[in-house]
Amino acid sequence: MTTVEPQAGTSEQLIRRLADLGGLEVLGGAETRGAITVRMLPETLEEATHVIAASADTRLADMFADDGGDAPTLRLIWALEEGYLVTETEIQGDQYPPLSDIAPAAFVEECEIYEQFGIRPATGKPLNRLMLPPHAGPDFPRLGHRPAEPLDEAHALHTVGGQAFEFPFGPVRQVGVESLYYGLVTSGEEVVDVYLFTWHKHRGVEWRLRGTTPGEGIFFAERAEGLSAVAVGWAFAAAAEAALGVAPPPAAARTRAVALELERLYNHAAAMAALCQATGLTVGQSAAEIALERLLRVNAAAFGHRYLFGVIEPGGTARAPDIAVLRRDLPAAYGELRRAANALLATNSFVDRLEACGSLTAEEARRLGLVGPVARATGLAVDARLNGRRPRSGSADGGPYAEHPLTVVTADGGDVFARFQVMLGEAAESVRLIGEFLDAGTGAGRTPLPEKGNGELGSGHGLGWAESSRGEVLAWVALDETGRITRARLRPGSVRNWRGFDDACRSQNVFTDIPIIEASFWLTAAGLAR
Amino acid sequence: MNPSRGKAEAARRLRDTIAAQFGRSLHIRTLDTGSCAVCEQEIRLLAAPHYDLQRLGFFFTPAPRHADLLLVTGPMIRAFDVAARKTYEAMPGPKVVVATGACALGGVYPKDPFVHGNVGEVLPVDVWIPGCPPSPLALLQGLGVAVGRLAERTPGLTFIAGPAADGGEA
Amino acid sequence: MPLWFVRGLRRGVVTTRYPARRDDSAAWLPTPPAFRSRQLTREAADRMVAVCPSLALSRRDDILVFDVGACTACGWCAEAAPDVVTSSGEFELAATVRSALIKEIPIQGDEP
Repeated sequence: MTTVEPQAGTSEQLIRRLADLGGLEVLGGAETRGAITVRMLPETLEEATHVIAASADTRLADMFADDGGDAPTLRLIWALEEGYLVTETEIQGDQYPPLSDIAPAAFVEECEIYEQFGIRPATGKPLNRLMLPPHAGPDFPRLGHRPAEPLDEAHALHTVGGQAFEFPFGPVRQVGVESLYYGLVTSGEEVVDVYLFTWHKHRGVEWRLRGTTPGEGIFFAERAEGLSAVAVGWAFAAAAEAALGVAPPPAAARTRAVALELERLYNHAAAMAALCQATGLTVGQSAAEIALERLLRVNAAAFGHRYLFGVIEPGGTARAPDIAVLRRDLPAAYGELRRAANALLATNSFVDRLEACGSLTAEEARRLGLVGPVARATGLAVDARLNGRRPRSGSADGGPYAEHPLTVVTADGGDVFARFQVMLGEAAESVRLIGEFLDAGTGAGRTPLPEKGNGELGSGHGLGWAESSRGEVLAWVALDETGRITRARLRPGSVRNWRGFDDACRSQNVFTDIPIIEASFWLTAAGLAR
Repeated sequence: MNPSRGKAEAARRLRDTIAAQFGRSLHIRTLDTGSCAVCEQEIRLLAAPHYDLQRLGFFFTPAPRHADLLLVTGPMIRAFDVAARKTYEAMPGPKVVVATGACALGGVYPKDPFVHGNVGEVLPVDVWIPGCPPSPLALLQGLGVAVGRLAERTPGLTFIAGPAADGGEA
Repeated sequence: MPLWFVRGLRRGVVTTRYPARRDDSAAWLPTPPAFRSRQLTREAADRMVAVCPSLALSRRDDILVFDVGACTACGWCAEAAPDVVTSSGEFELAATVRSALIKEIPIQGDEP
């Protein structure tokens, strides 16, 4: 096995320790572009996972499989301080080594991998039905070649006994929210456990992306989680660009960042409105909705779409913002949001309702691999915009956040109130960043993707990422020699953070807390189920 | 679902009856059959101060039993269609079904093993509202059409531009 | 609570008068395309059909069939045939019959 010099930093020590384990091959970013790739044998995987998980500043960001060759390849994506590490292991047979250190964080991914590829961890623990509907037979489309044993009506482990009983809630729920099926386990008022089924929201986006070009696929990637269209679109486009070895022009990259920050702003306003609705403060809800509507109109005037669809394309951006409109209308719209927030912070009945509700500790957030404001509210400074700062694979371009450092907003307490405070802090930071990006220059434009025929660049694997309003989005794309997608992995922030939802609901909360906690997470069922 | 002429006439008379009964007060139940979540956000904004559907006599209700109109988003994921039918059947007649958004109308996702592709495959749709997403203004127009308070404009639009334009847009 | 009351009074009314009156914010909404028949050639039609990601365009002989219901106003057809496509400006598109949303655009452009 050959060893290539890894990038400088703590990853260097980590790679050396992994290399000492033997049985692996380190590639300096040549395999999955945008990250360090380590290919390892199944025998080494468990120990290597222990080594990585035990290192400081590592976080499991994703786990997924790919059926490119004779056997599925299992990939783990770890976020390190200075970028991402991807481990690849070919799995013969139908089990992979138990990765118990990471199991709490990766439970959702383990279920998804089993449903799609028929491989499961060797622990033998029960897995949830996740995205395949109950009637799915062996012919139901899957990403892998191997049909899995159908899962029994399984659900997450919980304690039911004594006074506790469970009842199903949904999928058709209150007005104007997505379909989502909860199983609630309760002893009456207190929430003992919550588990989710999302197969009724599974559209098969990753399945549909196969065979498309990146230019065609962006349309579906944006709509995987429409409220994070810019973030997921950016991650997808960046993955394709990394695979093909190109980067967008700097002005287009800054345009992407402007759109991303606008998306963060309107989502935080919408979350604020949802928090007010959940706590029954109708005046606050109206105030937040006024701010939200004004922000959406700014989006429409600046970029031609209220939800910023169609801004990003692989290679760059399709649209440039109307700078005059942004400079004129954004401060007023943000002022609306700020005044509503200040009024809420001065309303004791509202603040009291949020404090100590839905608490998570930093340790839980780390163990579960949570991202976004949910993680930052526990004190963890996790933000994918920081990952973008450092150049990968020798490319000189560190991304738009390299030249415009941001303050990562964190809070203590990990409760709903802390998440609310993080969102408010981030909104202010977003407005500041937009001003900086506009000053530095924005525009539409794209770097052309290499045409097929140039065999060296046509194919490859790439990793892309972006920080959506709900947390880190990852995308991984494999292109064949005609430039078409053989495997696209989309991991919106919702996939990571729904994992923490039941933990947040469990800590001494009652039924009426659940909508409040849900609003503070501000995730989507569409992003989880895709 | 192409009704014969007799059925189309019956549907029109039913809609006229509904318009007479519901023109001034209508309760709306929403139903998500697999959207990307953006259509829901626009629907939520119907109750927000900028649009305030209540001033027009429209109200949201969480109970199918109280609802007159079912506002449906999403491409009708197959795994959800039973829940969709149950929600529709839980509504007492007379009732109106409004499909909203390109996904619900047959765009974006073709019919495949995951989705029907079109709400009309499972529910009898009375009004179709295009858009991705339909803005709250477009939704208000669609609701107005559904209760007969606003005239449809679409039949008169040609989407042909230029010197030969007639009723389209120059 | 007095804080909210005063705040609300000061904020004033933002509610639209739509549908009784036009709403200016509609000017910023993305709308489906309108097609210039006289500039539309078979070749341009086929390019647009190939690029539409939402199943809204197809061609039948010398008719470009445009399904407004399936359209997402993404603008890709406009990129593919910029001299043919313009914005319709129409957002009031509700229809009681699905077929009313299927439009036929005659292909009347001169072939090159």
